Parts: sequence; structure tokens; C-alpha cells
Amino acid sequence: MGWEEVQVCGYDEFVRTAQRYHGRPIFALFCGDKDAEGKSWCPDCVTAEPVVRKELHNLPDESVFIYCLVGDRAYWKDPNNEFRRNLKLTGVPTLLKYGTPQKLVEEECFKAELVRMLFTED
Amino acid sequence: SVQARKEDKPQKTMEINGLTPVPDTYDYDLIVIGGGSGGLAAAKEAAKYEKKVMVLDFVKPTPQGSSWGLGGTCVNVGCIPKKLMHQAALLGQALQDSRKFGWQFTEEVKHNWMTMTESVQNYIGSLNWGYRVALRDNKVTYENAYGEFVGPHTIKATNKKGVEKLYTAERFLIATGERPRYLGIPGDKEYCISSDDLFSLPYCPGKTLVVGASYVALECAGFLAGLGLDVTVMVRSILLRGFDQDMANKIGEYMKEHGVNFIREFVPTKVEQLEEGTPGRLKVTAKSTTGDQIIEGEYNTVLLAIGRDPCTRKIGLDKVGVNINEKTGKIPVSDEEQTNVPYIYAIGDILQDKLELTPVAIQAGRLLVRRLYAGATTKCDYVNVPTTVFTPLEYGACGYSEETAVEKFGEENIEVYHSHFWPLEWTVPSRDNNKCYAKIICNIQDNERVIGFHVLGPNAGEVTQGFAAAIKCGMTKEQLDNTVGIHPVCAEV
Repeated sequence: MGWEEVQVCGYDEFVRTAQRYHGRPIFALFCGDKDAEGKSWCPDCVTAEPVVRKELHNLPDESVFIYCLVGDRAYWKDPNNEFRRNLKLTGVPTLLKYGTPQKLVEEECFKAELVRMLFTED
Repeated sequence: SVQARKEDKPQKTMEINGLTPVPDTYDYDLIVIGGGSGGLAAAKEAAKYEKKVMVLDFVKPTPQGSSWGLGGTCVNVGCIPKKLMHQAALLGQALQDSRKFGWQFTEEVKHNWMTMTESVQNYIGSLNWGYRVALRDNKVTYENAYGEFVGPHTIKATNKKGVEKLYTAERFLIATGERPRYLGIPGDKEYCISSDDLFSLPYCPGKTLVVGASYVALECAGFLAGLGLDVTVMVRSILLRGFDQDMANKIGEYMKEHGVNFIREFVPTKVEQLEEGTPGRLKVTAKSTTGDQIIEGEYNTVLLAIGRDPCTRKIGLDKVGVNINEKTGKIPVSDEEQTNVPYIYAIGDILQDKLELTPVAIQAGRLLVRRLYAGATTKCDYVNVPTTVFTPLEYGACGYSEETAVEKFGEENIEVYHSHFWPLEWTVPSRDNNKCYAKIICNIQDNERVIGFHVLGPNAGEVTQGFAAAIKCGMTKEQLDNTVGIHPVCAEV
């Protein structure tokens, strides 16, 4: 069946989507919102996204890749936002395997080797 | 014969025997067998010096089926989950104390084993992942495979699917650690658990019999009782062999007064299952070590903590000629951690006559690698290593026990200074006023140098760490007396 991508905005949509695909391996990339020209306020996210996208073909069959825009810079900086509180995210970009402690944060997402390891190994 | 597969050098079927020529170029500079505290520290250090390193780590599941990820005993089934569960028990005590400090809550406080265990396992999972990221980031190759020597400089790695690969290296580091020992009585492997199973047990253990008197036994018994479970400890002879016996007895007394039952001078002879379940019901029959008396008891869980055996018997050491102590399985090494085979080294719990502690293994691993690849000369110092036992009343120690000091220096040449103390935090909730205790052992012939430090009380580990540094600097009793205390803390005593 291969893998599929779903794009979501904000915490509520993320949670609903993750629930919808319960039972399949779920990987998620969290990035800062993009402006009208498609550029994110988060420079590290701009660097990480192409690296992650290049490794997507390594995703296991049946996986779901959720690309999630978290919000604007002000929302993200709030130490009580839902992503920080409930998903325990500490930075953007974050790439994680949902439901496990496996994740890559910030500069770790720039490294193709680590992204590949997250996607392919147990 | 074994099929060899190398990335860029395909070979035909290869016969490995005594006539196999030693390869002159190796796949790796260093292969580390065992991804625990020592192995990982050494691997990461070697990678810093741009060496080509591989780590092989594999956990053979317990008789009950438990297994775990990269990181070794400490991270998965040792220090880390132990201290977290000890903390869970301390928090239970703190909740009780809090009422005396004015906190009001009407409900009875109960403990949920699954909630605690899930949190602990989640944290351990993040550590396992962190190690894998660290290895990959440092360009250390990691394989989840069982390593065994098959010939000179050559190791066979078998993964959980049974696929075998051969690798060669210029040097090897054995860091395979230990696993819990079983009693060798009927029903032990079928029905009993060990510390390898306890920290991920998917159900509350209930009424538990802990067999053994090691620090593992007492720490586990301690926190299980602290979580509200009915706990009995069955001891063959003495508590905490190898530790200061004066302190060991105080620990035992405290545990007894705080709800842990002790059955002294008995050993189990068989374990039978009365009822299956999670937990089930088990019947334990035990015989006295001093007479003919036989007793029986019923428990939900039997936890064996009678010792740990090195994983050195099935890794092909005979194929490369590495000597081991046949009786114990431990590996004797030089003071540079070298075995009798010059290109094979060993560190950690498997070493003969060395302390079985994570920081010791880490230190030994790092220093060894620096000596091998960075021209360093510093050897690991195994003297005056501080330790802490996380029983309900914690015990921190550094240096000689009273018995060993007497044996080495003679009773007339040592002076022991001691004191009971009452932690301020224990006064208001009316906790014991004569249980916490500290003593130092001094060498009269050497300016009353402090050669042993022992403390029994809260936060013993934190207290002991500083004193360990002072002892390493050669602190004397006079210098200790001249150090003004911090008030009000336990350590000022």
C-alpha cells in the first residue's frame, strides 16, 4: 500500500488526524507556519523540510506522514501552547514517530542518516 | 563452515578453524561487544578519535520473555528504573508526612503500578533512542546482534532473525555485563521473576517474596514495600555481603521496623504454581540452613535476587584463547583492562576483582580508549570509589568498611568516629529519631587520614559524592573538623 501524506494545521486537527489513523505507523513533522510566499518563520524548518521529504520513500508500508503547521511565531513561543503541554514538543522542527519516545529535534532533522534511521528502524 | 558477507568484498564459503589466516586489513578498528554503560562510553570515545567502531548489543530474553533496547543493564533493568521506583516509594512516604506539615487531603492515597511502570518504561525508551541517535551521529555502527568470537580477530554477529554476519577488527572490547542467577530448583525459571522482569512487569506483583540479601534484593524489597505491597525477604545468611556489616544490620533493622518481613537462614527448595494469573499464586517451600525445619509460604510473586553471572561463557572466548575464571566466569585483566590476548580488552561488571558500577565501567572505557588512540597514560583508579545503596533508608559509602580497615591496619591503628542524627525534616512528622547514622574510619598512623566514610540517611548518595572527592584528596580528621558545617542539613554531622 505504500505510505500517504496528510497536511494539517494546528493542534486540534493534528490530534483528530492521528486518531483517525490509529493502528498504522504515524510519523509527524512539526513546522512553523508559512507566509503567503510559502516561507516559514522558522529558519530551521526551512532547512529540515527538504531533508525529511527526500527520505520519505523509506517510510514503511501503511505509514501515514502527517505534515503539521503548528502556528505563528507568537503562538509557538508561548510556553503553554498545546503542542508543548500535551505532546511535550520542545522545539521546531520536530520529527517524531507517534506513540513512541523516538524523535528528532531541530538540527537532528538536518541529518539524512538520522531521519532514515527514524523511518526505517525499530 | 560459515558464509561470510562483507559489503564490498564478497567471498566464497569460508572455513574458520585454527589455520585461518589472520586478515591484514580489518573491517573495523574496534568492535565493542555489549552496548551497556562501559561499551557505549568506549565506543563514543573511540569515534571521537575518528576510529571505525562497531557496537554489537543483544539481549537474550528472560525465561519470562522480557527484553529491552540499547543501553545495557543500568539504563534498562538496573540503576535507572530502580532509582525511579525508589523515588515513587519515597513520594508515598512524603505524602504521609505532608499531613503533619499542614497538607489536607481526605482520600486515602493509593498506588497504581501500571501508571508508574508505563512512565518509567517511557523514559527508558527515550534513553534507548537517545543512545541510537548518539551512536549514529558519531558514525558508530550499531547492530542489534549477538556477538561471538569464531577465530582470530573475527566475530560472528547473529541477529534476532538468525541471520549471521562475520566481521573483523584490529581490537575488541568485551563489555557484555551480567544477568541474574537462578536458584537451580524446581519451578525457578517457570514461575519466578528477576530484576530483569520486575521493572517492566505488566501487572502489580502483589504479595512478593524476594529471595536474596544483595543490594538488589534489599532495594527491590524496599521500594515494593514502600508502594504498599506485602513483602518478605528470604535470606540465606548475612545481609549485603561485602559491605560494612554494622551498616548492613542497621539497614535490615530499619526495613524490618517499616513493614518488610525477613525470613533468616532459609533457602527455597521448590516453587509450585497454585493458580495462574497476573499475578498468580505461588507456593514456596524452603529449608532451614541450620537444621531440618521446612516451611511453606504463599505469594503472588517470587523475585530472585541471589547474584549475577557474567555473560562470558557463550561468546567464543575459547576460540581466541581468552582466559576466564572457570568458577565465576569473570575475566581477569591487567591494570590496563587487557586480557591475556593482547588485542582483546574487557571492562565493566565482567571483570574479576573490580567494582560492578556504571561510573566505573564508563571511566574504565573512556580511559582505555584514550590510552589506545590518543596516547594517554592514565589508568582507571578503582580505589575509593563511592557507592550508594538505595534501600528505604539510603546508605552511602566510600573507602574501607570497618571490618576491612581492621583487617588491613589492625584494630589499634584505626579510630572510628560516629554519630546518630535526626534529619530536621523528620522531626515534625515524628519519624525515627535514632536511625540515621554516620561514621568515619581514620588511620591513626597516617595523620588520622579518613579512609572510610559511611552514612545512613536521606539523600545518602548526594551527601557521599562530596566526601568521596575529599577522601581522594587525602582529607584528615583534623581537616574535616575544621570544615564548618552547613546548617540545617544532614551532611553537617
